[in-house]
Amino acid sequence: MKHSVNRPPTPDEDDASEGFEKDEVTLREIINVKLVESGEKENLMELVRDRLVECGWKDEMRIACREHVKKKGRKDVTVDELIRVITPKGRASVPDSVKAELLNRIQNFIVSAAL
Amino acid sequence: MSARISFLKNPDPCNHLSNYKLRYGTDGYKSFQNLFSCFNDGRIKIKLQEIEIPRCSYCSVYQKRLYICLICRSISCSSHILLHTQLNKGHDIAIDVERSELYCCACLDQVYDPEFDEVVVSKQLVGLGMSVKSGADVVVAVRSNKKRRLDSQLIIGSKFLVSPRDRREKWSFPLGLRGLNNLGSTCFMNAVLQALVHAPPLRNFWLSGQHNRDLCPRRTMGLLCLPCDLDVIFAAMFSGDRTPYSPAHLLYSWWQHSTNLATYEQQDSHEFFISLLDRIHENEGKTKCLYQDHEECQCITHKAFSGLLRSDVTCTTCGSTSTTYDPFIDISLTLDSANGFSPADCRKNRYNGGPSVNATMPTLSGCLDFFTRSEKLGPDQKLNCQSCGEKRESSKQMSIRRLPLLLCLHVKRFEHSLTRKTSRKIDSYLQYPFRLNMSPYLSSSIIGKRFGNRMFAFDGEGEYDSSSSSSPSAEFEIFAVVTHSGMLESGHYVTYLRLKGLWYKCDDAWINEVEEEVVRGCECYMLFYAQEKVIQKAHKELSYQVISMADSFPFADC
Repeated sequence: MKHSVNRPPTPDEDDASEGFEKDEVTLREIINVKLVESGEKENLMELVRDRLVECGWKDEMRIACREHVKKKGRKDVTVDELIRVITPKGRASVPDSVKAELLNRIQNFIVSAAL
Repeated sequence: MSARISFLKNPDPCNHLSNYKLRYGTDGYKSFQNLFSCFNDGRIKIKLQEIEIPRCSYCSVYQKRLYICLICRSISCSSHILLHTQLNKGHDIAIDVERSELYCCACLDQVYDPEFDEVVVSKQLVGLGMSVKSGADVVVAVRSNKKRRLDSQLIIGSKFLVSPRDRREKWSFPLGLRGLNNLGSTCFMNAVLQALVHAPPLRNFWLSGQHNRDLCPRRTMGLLCLPCDLDVIFAAMFSGDRTPYSPAHLLYSWWQHSTNLATYEQQDSHEFFISLLDRIHENEGKTKCLYQDHEECQCITHKAFSGLLRSDVTCTTCGSTSTTYDPFIDISLTLDSANGFSPADCRKNRYNGGPSVNATMPTLSGCLDFFTRSEKLGPDQKLNCQSCGEKRESSKQMSIRRLPLLLCLHVKRFEHSLTRKTSRKIDSYLQYPFRLNMSPYLSSSIIGKRFGNRMFAFDGEGEYDSSSSSSPSAEFEIFAVVTHSGMLESGHYVTYLRLKGLWYKCDDAWINEVEEEVVRGCECYMLFYAQEKVIQKAHKELSYQVISMADSFPFADC
């Protein structure tokens, strides 16, 4: 099944979400494309990975995964389940400094790309 | 691949994977080989086209975890992957686009196949050889949280139990602490002796009489025996007498063995260290008919200091690797203002947009990273590749296969240039931790990190579990630091010893207690680390002795 970047939204989407939200989604996509094209996305990914490792977040997540597996038993846990359970914890425990730094970098990028 | 990697303990494949393998074998995997794109931190991604953003073919998202079907190459997100296999019979196995890991759409779980990993890894080996650049950009493994812990030690400082005795009273110095007189530029010898006398395994060996000079067969025959001379020294150091001791006998014996160094000129401390250990090995080996082979030798030198290095040489053309193992009794680290920096330090500078690397100072972990880096060998160093059948360019990587009880890290500060016939000393300050976790430099970690999340087991390395944050046998604590100050020809060696949590400066005949900061700030030349359990055991032994000896040996002031 072929796909293309310009494919219109699927019929499942709520029709009421037109207008403002739709524009926001399109804008996000444009920014993402620009980030990927310029290679900045890779830099940012590496930056985030490093920061999360440095502050111990990765180790915390690893411990959380271990705990869950210990509770459920090795045979009964799937990767999907782990993702489902750990993702909210992970998102909640990202340090604000990391978020701020990333946001800053993206902002700078947008400004420089617009020029 | 001719690497000595054995595939053990793989999880059983699910029915879907087995069926897929029966039908398609490894062809499907191989067809993806050109699409794998390798990153410095060991991750492998699938890149369909240069800049295209992969999206789910059902809902167009790109933010979720995406999987690419092995059979039809359509991409689905985690929500729609089950749908894909329901709509397309037999399309059960997919690959995680970001991580290059196998996924079974029917079981909704990750699955493992060593043959798949082999395909991925062989691409990565080739990729590593091709894309390595020289200079500070070379990054092989992403540093884990261990690095942060190493560095934070320097800020927070280590916490140790300190006994409540009055530190100023010399009689409360730990047992065995005694100055050594300088017999004419012999500080190089004194420095090493102080470190060895307080190395727990060596101390125990000699103090328990395992080489007794009165019973030594070599000595009774009138032959030279350095271990006997050391027996004298140990006895003198631990006698309780605090007046400075003159190790003249040892010096004389050592001169007889190394006549070319028998002068009153300043010698290299590290050179003395190696030659002394070598003599001990020789004498011990001969007396006790122990194995001569370094790996099996049970002499005290090798029991204490011997470890095993692994060297992997990889052909950059076909990816096949040949592995060799060599024993070592110490590791010499290159100290250069360019490569003393750890990869994380270099990346910091990349983020800030600056190409200069000199913003941060060299660290021990930076040197260890440099030691275990994947090094692309020059075009003049082509090696014969078994599978290619001709000389090819290759890359080499060192890692530690087995850690010794005592780890001696030598910082190469003396540079001798053969071409320019000059020597110089590298004075740069090197930051080093008091607690050192060596697991990132083990073969299992270094090789493991190169290939991301692969199914590798390393023969016999079970005890070093690289997935746990700290394995008991890979944690080291420092017990002695030999420093060199001054210039190449006219410098001075001093040793700092850590006994029961307190630091003592041993400057020839003068010993005093010093603050931790002094030791941290010194210019280290040789760092002596011991496995955690060795230090803990030694703590217990020393405290018992101090209480009993302090009463029976009031001593004259030094």
